[in-house]
This record gives sequence, C-alpha cells and structure tokens, in this order.
Amino acid sequence: MARFFPLNVTDVRRETRDAVVVTLAPREEDKDRFGYMQGQYLTFRRDFDGEELRRSYSICAGLDEDMLRVGIKHIDGGCFSGWANAELKAGDVLEAMPPMGSFHAPLDAEAKKTYLAFAGGSGITPVLSIIKTVLAREQHSDITLVYGNRSVASIMFREELEDLKNTHLGRFNIIHVLENEAQEIDLFSGRIDQKKCRLLFDGWIDIGAVDMAFICGPEPMMLAIAAVLREHGLRDDQIKFELFASAPRPNRAQRAPAKTAGTDEGAADNNKICQATITLDGTTKTIEMPSSGQSVLQAALAADIDAPHACTAGVCSTCRALVLEGEVEMQTNHALDDYEVDRGYVLTCQCYPLSDRVVVDYDQ
Amino acid sequence: MSDEMTIQSYLEQGGKLSSPENAPARYRGELMRLMASFVDSELAGSAGFADCINNGPGIAERIAASRIVLEKLDHGERVLKIMGDFGADTVRYASHHPWTQRMARDADIGASRQGDDMRLNVFHYPIEGWTDAVTMNVLMGTAVTIQLEELAGISYQPLAEQFRAILPRERRHAELGIEGLRKLWAEETGRPAVKASLAYWTPRVAASFGRAGSKRFDALKRFGLRSRTNDALLSEWRGKTDEVLAELGIAA
Repeated sequence: MARFFPLNVTDVRRETRDAVVVTLAPREEDKDRFGYMQGQYLTFRRDFDGEELRRSYSICAGLDEDMLRVGIKHIDGGCFSGWANAELKAGDVLEAMPPMGSFHAPLDAEAKKTYLAFAGGSGITPVLSIIKTVLAREQHSDITLVYGNRSVASIMFREELEDLKNTHLGRFNIIHVLENEAQEIDLFSGRIDQKKCRLLFDGWIDIGAVDMAFICGPEPMMLAIAAVLREHGLRDDQIKFELFASAPRPNRAQRAPAKTAGTDEGAADNNKICQATITLDGTTKTIEMPSSGQSVLQAALAADIDAPHACTAGVCSTCRALVLEGEVEMQTNHALDDYEVDRGYVLTCQCYPLSDRVVVDYDQ
Repeated sequence: MSDEMTIQSYLEQGGKLSSPENAPARYRGELMRLMASFVDSELAGSAGFADCINNGPGIAERIAASRIVLEKLDHGERVLKIMGDFGADTVRYASHHPWTQRMARDADIGASRQGDDMRLNVFHYPIEGWTDAVTMNVLMGTAVTIQLEELAGISYQPLAEQFRAILPRERRHAELGIEGLRKLWAEETGRPAVKASLAYWTPRVAASFGRAGSKRFDALKRFGLRSRTNDALLSEWRGKTDEVLAELGIAA
C-alpha cells in the first residue's frame, strides 16, 4: 500500500507567470527511497478543507543533479496547483510517495543514439529530466526537442534549455512551436498536429535516424505525434508516452465512509433482504440480496453482472467500486488506502450491506 | 484541435496510459482482471511444472524445466508488481492461493475460471509424467506466445513493456518444449504416450483462448486492451501447432 514520507521544501522558484519549480529534500533516512530514474514523477498528498487531494508532478532534475525538483503549473480550477503557485514556500513540508513511472529508456554510456522528444506546455518537466540525463550520461547520443507552447512567455525552463543547447552544441537541438505567435517560419507557429509533424520529418528532423521518441503533453497532441511516428516506421517499443498524471478530474462529493469490520451496530439479521442497485458499464440493475452471507460482488455475479474481480480475498482491488448510497461493512481490506475508503470506495468482494438499500457504482 | 479529449476517446484512438492515476475505473477493473489472469497462470503453471523437474530423463532436461519454472515465477512477479502500483498487496497476493492445487484429470471445466482463481482453465489440470509435461508445454507455450504477442501492444504502457520483455523468454520456453518433444518422438516406444498427451491437452489449450464471440471483447477493444478476437488467436494457434507437429513428423 502507498506510503508517504515528508519532504522539506528547500526552494520555490517562479518559472513563468503560472508555474513554479519546487526543490525538495528527503530526510536523511529516506534518501534511498527517493532515488529516481529520469522522467519519473512524485505523488503528493495534502488536506484541503478536510478532503485529501493527491496530485502527481514530474521530476524535472537530471540524474546527476543530486536533488529532487518538480515543476508545478497552475491549472485552471486546480486546487493543489493553485495552492502550490500561490502559497507554497521554502521551509514547508510536503508529503510524497517515492518516485514512480516508467517514462525513461535504459542508459548506456557507450551508446550512440538519436532521441526525439516532444513536449506540450508543462509536459516539458519529465522531458527536461530525460534531456539532462541523456546529455550527461550518454556522451555520444544526441537529442532533439520539439516543444509546443501558447506563447514565449509561457515557455517553462526556456533559459535552462538555452543553456543546455549552448553547452551541448550539436548534440541538443530545440524546435519551439508557438500557438499564438507568428514566427518567421510558418512551420513554427500553431499547434503540433499531424500535418506539422509530417513537415518537420520532411525537412527538419531525420526521422529515419531516430532510435527512441518521448512524448508528453495533452492527449490529442500525443495521438497526432504517435500516428505520424508510426507512419514513419517507428515501432511501439520506440515510442514512450507520458500522459499528464495530474489532469484535473471532476470533483467527487464526499461519501459516507464504508464501515470497517468490527462494528457491532447493524449486526446482520440473517433473514434481512437488501436492495442493491449496481451500475456497470453505464447499465444499472437493481437486485435483492441477503444482508448477510453474500458479498456485494457475489450478488452481482449471481445476477449476471460481469463485475471485475480476481482474488476475492481483499488483496488485489480488482473489484473496487464506489458506494453512492447506503452503508456497507468491509470485512477485509489489504488494498485500498484510507484516502479511497474515505471517498466511499470499497472492495466489493469483502462488502456486506448494513442498510436496507445500497447503491454501488463500478464506473467511477 | 482542442486540448480537451476524454480518456475513453484517447484510448479508442490508440493512446497509451502511463500511470494508475490516468486509468478510469472500468479500465482499471479490466486491466487488473487481465493482469490477475496472467499472474495466476504464471504462478500456477510454474507450480505445476516444478513437480515435473525430477521426471526429466537427463540433466539437460531438468535444467530446461528448472529454467521454465524460475522464469515463469519471475514473469508473474513482474506483472504482480504493476498490480501493486494499483494498490494490490503483492506479498499477500503471492500466497493467497494454493498454486499447486489441481483438479481431477478428467474434470470438465471448459473455458471457465474456477472460484477465486483467475488462472487460465488449462492450469487446473494435473500433469502426469515427463511426456505429458513436455507435450503440454509445447501446446501451451505456443498459445502463450500468441497471447503475449496480442498483449504486447496494449494501452497500459508499463504492462506492455513488461509483456514485450517477457515474450522472447516465453517463446524460448515453447522452443525448449519442441526440442524435448523431438527427443521423445524419436523413440518409437514413446510415441503412444505423446499421442495420448496431445489428444488430452489439445482441446484444453484450445479452450484457454476463451469463448468465441466474447461479450467482453468489444469493451476491451475500446480500452485498447485487446485487438484481435479470441477466434482469430485460436485459429492462429491451430495453424502454428499443425506446423510444429508436421515439422516434428507427428501426424496431427
């Protein structure tokens, strides 16, 4: 299960009007846990008005920088990113899980590879980590970055990228594509779409030489780039995607937490019947089930609802669902965090109704 | 082109997901189910095969069998680790079920799962002796290779990467089986047992491809978790198996 550790905020630097770069230091005893691979991300948690929020942000430091650093761009309506941009300061403590993610390729000091990276907006953060690491650890490899932004003012790490380009002349190239600004060459204005990729591969980028491509940005941009990369013969294992980990999702209302085992109240009456309303794949079915002796999952399966499940021992969490109404008792839980339980998530294989009516949704 | 796009439509157009946070609830459920099926099959397959190591006629055969047992455990562990990223308790999971448990040799379970165990049907049947183990490994090894080729392109990138790394090793397991079968078939006296094992395992391995016209297939396809139908995979397996047996000189 997820474990969080405190990280000291040692520096908060304003990067653009709506983005900050946060430097963090783990406690001495946690240092090993926070070793990371280039392109990985950290997941933070924080309480906002009684509700715990978790957000992931990519590490933007290279492997040899010996520090933890993330970029946080303020997203409209984003509670965590808004707070980080407005209030977070050096001396604060943030809680984070150890680094995760597989947005990286193995490093080889002797390799002579050609990398191509695409970043859209704050999608630059993991890409920057990869660029710095490749330039430092693979002295014979080169990398080209195609970087899309709205305008010059919104380009994150603009100066740092320029410095890298100057330090590694000939090994690192940047192509800026700006949506709202006309440039001397039309190709560099607008959005990174399929048409633009084809033009780039026509004259500016030798796509035949590319060993590995990295893409991080909004979904339509990633799809467009991947399609054209495949058109040009790149295989799936040569294309690495990183979807923004922290795209804001619709807020969920607070649910009454599921009861955990050991509570006496509502002790099951063997003959009691519960009305269970179960939603799966947009279809809602109401069934009657005994209040004891049959789990919500078993009742769903018995009613021909093809609910996902695997271990049925409260271990794997395949059968996770959200309780929207009513009360249930969860007998065993080895897989859900308190954070999820507080929101009303349950393991349906371990769940027995306490109320006469429950509403359970597998789609949320 | 707008930046707004639902995850569902992103997946339908071939997009890849890279972390548990991106995964919508139903996608998560189906992905977990798929991973559990793989992990359970590897753990149960490895457990069943472990008992056969000592039946190997020579040291080379026992090394091959040991390697298969070891690597299948490793493959199970790799995918279980990804289930762990989604919250699964990996330590408990690895021991929540008696993986050595088998049903009766003549049990008829078709393609269905048994109880709380997500292993493919074929891993519920007991293996009887060395010839049986080798024959089953040829048939199932060929099936696993085809199933992994299908899964190597799935939309959950960390899992697709593991499947791509696992594929050549599972392919090698099937090749080791083919070499073993070649030796067994070379001995005139061993042939009836090979034929009997082929007759026993062929329909059971065929059933591991799942039901034709599976209802779940369309949903899995929309999530980018499947691309070819059970029928298509099964018919590829039949073709490949026929080729292998013909090459060995075994009439199908």
